[in-house]
Amino acid sequence: MNVTNLITPDRIRCDAEVSSKKRSLELLSELLASGQPGINATQIFDKLIGRERLGSTGLGKGVALPHARLEGSEQTRGALIKLQDGIPFDAVDKAPVDVLFALMVPENCTDEHLRILSGLAEMFSDQALCERIRSSDSPEEIYRHVMQWQTAHQSA
Amino acid sequence: MEFTSQFILLSGILLTLSVLASVVANRSGVPLLLLFLVLGMIAGAEGPGGIRFTDIQSAHLLATLALAIILFDGGLHTPLRTFRVGWKPGLALATVGVVITAGVTAAFVMTAFDLPWAQALLMAAVVASTDAAAVFYLLRSKGLQLQERGRATLEVESGVNDPMAVFLTVAMIEVLLAPEARLGWDALIAFVQQMGLGTVIGLGAGAGLALLIDRVRLPESLYPLLALSGGLLTFGAASVIGGSGFLAAYVGGLTVGARARTARLAIRRFHDGVAWLCQIGLFLMLGLLVTPSQLLPTIPQALLVVAGLTLVARPASVFISLLPFRFPWREQVFLSWVGLRGAVPIVLSLYPLLAGVAEAATVFNIAFFVVLMSLLVQGWTVAPLARWLSLALPGQRQHTPKVEMEAPDGQDLLIYHLPADCPAAGQPVSAIPLPEDADVMAVVRDRHPLAIEPPPKLLDGDYLYILARHAGEADLALLDQWLTSQDADALMREHEYFGEFVVNAEAEIAELAPVYGIDPPRDMVQGESVGRYLHRRLKRRPTPGDRVVIGKMELVVRETENDRITRVGLKLRRQRKA
Repeated sequence: MNVTNLITPDRIRCDAEVSSKKRSLELLSELLASGQPGINATQIFDKLIGRERLGSTGLGKGVALPHARLEGSEQTRGALIKLQDGIPFDAVDKAPVDVLFALMVPENCTDEHLRILSGLAEMFSDQALCERIRSSDSPEEIYRHVMQWQTAHQSA
Repeated sequence: MEFTSQFILLSGILLTLSVLASVVANRSGVPLLLLFLVLGMIAGAEGPGGIRFTDIQSAHLLATLALAIILFDGGLHTPLRTFRVGWKPGLALATVGVVITAGVTAAFVMTAFDLPWAQALLMAAVVASTDAAAVFYLLRSKGLQLQERGRATLEVESGVNDPMAVFLTVAMIEVLLAPEARLGWDALIAFVQQMGLGTVIGLGAGAGLALLIDRVRLPESLYPLLALSGGLLTFGAASVIGGSGFLAAYVGGLTVGARARTARLAIRRFHDGVAWLCQIGLFLMLGLLVTPSQLLPTIPQALLVVAGLTLVARPASVFISLLPFRFPWREQVFLSWVGLRGAVPIVLSLYPLLAGVAEAATVFNIAFFVVLMSLLVQGWTVAPLARWLSLALPGQRQHTPKVEMEAPDGQDLLIYHLPADCPAAGQPVSAIPLPEDADVMAVVRDRHPLAIEPPPKLLDGDYLYILARHAGEADLALLDQWLTSQDADALMREHEYFGEFVVNAEAEIAELAPVYGIDPPRDMVQGESVGRYLHRRLKRRPTPGDRVVIGKMELVVRETENDRITRVGLKLRRQRKA
């Protein structure tokens, strides 16, 4: 998995003012839709919230990984937000969530979808990385930490 | 006079050494019960201790007393949930299973040593039952959190399989002493009576005892003693009228544990201590009783018995007894290996000695060696084997730094001392997931209570006082998890075992599969929920850790409640790069 191709600092928000699960998914949908003609945020939001209804995508320890497949989308892309204060996300450990990475994949790529998801789950289970993201002050800084993690774990 | 003083001095020395041995056991991983046994041997006639102890009659009395208390305590500590999960397979192993184990071992002994069948069967019957003390200790010792079904089955089995082994042993002694007697229906009826009366007396006396504990007003410290005396009463009453005292003691403990509300914690704490005392006393005494030099000549024979028992008889018994329950092969392998032998075989081998059967000394020495090997080999390998078979749940069962107290009106006061790296540190008090009907009473920092409103942020070193009314086990476990230190890889291990994501058991499988581009399974029923589908595919009582593969993902049972799956993990199987 290569996160480098999934996000850019444009799709990262630092200390976003969000106070509910619904609002966080809306913001992520907007970020995912930005710069993609033919795709609107509502479509993405519906898919993301549909997945949450089957069970929370909270991984535990304050991290969530909402995800969906979307018809009409050409690209696999991600968006990341970090919140000032945690929001209730109905995660298994009941911990409030303050780091969210949303993943959107085209309808037809299923194997890649699963591979990327399990890679992201592994990445965001790393407490050290999450702490670095939490203490970041800008999208660029978060982006840098993610890239560093990627380089470190690819060479390993 | 002098004897008394010396006796007390020696008891004090041995007991102190035994208690301190637990430190050695914790550090080195040597099975603790084995240390007690060895300590007894060292203190014995041929060791530097030089204590001569050959009184079989008193040994039998004391050992039976200790076993009764250990079984009562085992029952007291078995949550109703564990019993519900484990009683059917446990009972199968404890009855049919013991017969198969004894039968196969006897066949092995007969061919290997060219012994008459009755003698072979006596030797086999003595070592046929797993030991409650050893099993309870190993499964509850720190570090290992065994998957529920396996643990429950082993616990219940060891709690209820003594009557069968006792029965077989006694029957064989009768045959050996009066060769013209034949085993017939009488024997079967006698066995049914043992089991039936044992269960009935256990249930009845347990319920009565629970009622007594809840009704009678006593000074706090007398409740545990009341429970203990009730346990002895149960054992005695059942044995006197021809039932199995061992079974009655276990069932009685179980009933009291489930029913009595008063002084619950005090009773448990006291019984923990008493059960330890019994285990130490029991194994020390058995170590004293054996003469190591007589043990040596029987070793080749005993090794053959060990091999036959652990490699052939126990696996056959597990496989056949558990056929109706569809246990996965991993669990069958585990249960086969963890047929721990402990004090019971040694105590049973005292029966033929008391009855004056020829060759009784050989039976005793072989049983002793079998137990020694079992404690050594199995005791050491249980935890690694459980991990290797992925039957150990992720997360170490570790000590939670808390104090539990009983408020006079039946509520529990929990006082937690917050460690630095627990999930709650740094969070406001209001973020802690409290069980229903529980409240935070105080946060104490540097010996001063803080104001609860607005909710203060918790820091490490804080004391958190929580008042809870009949909180459920799962709720308390979540609370403990929040207030206990968690290592950094805990989340990784949890994902590895239960899967990265969580799915509601009620979610429809036809909705879930398309999210991941997976075709809904063909054997799915229209509109079926994930939980129901899993249950149907498993074809058995679901337990956390059970898994079913669908395409490129795996559904893992995460939580259950009364046999119903309530939460499911979703594990994405490692995808190979094309």
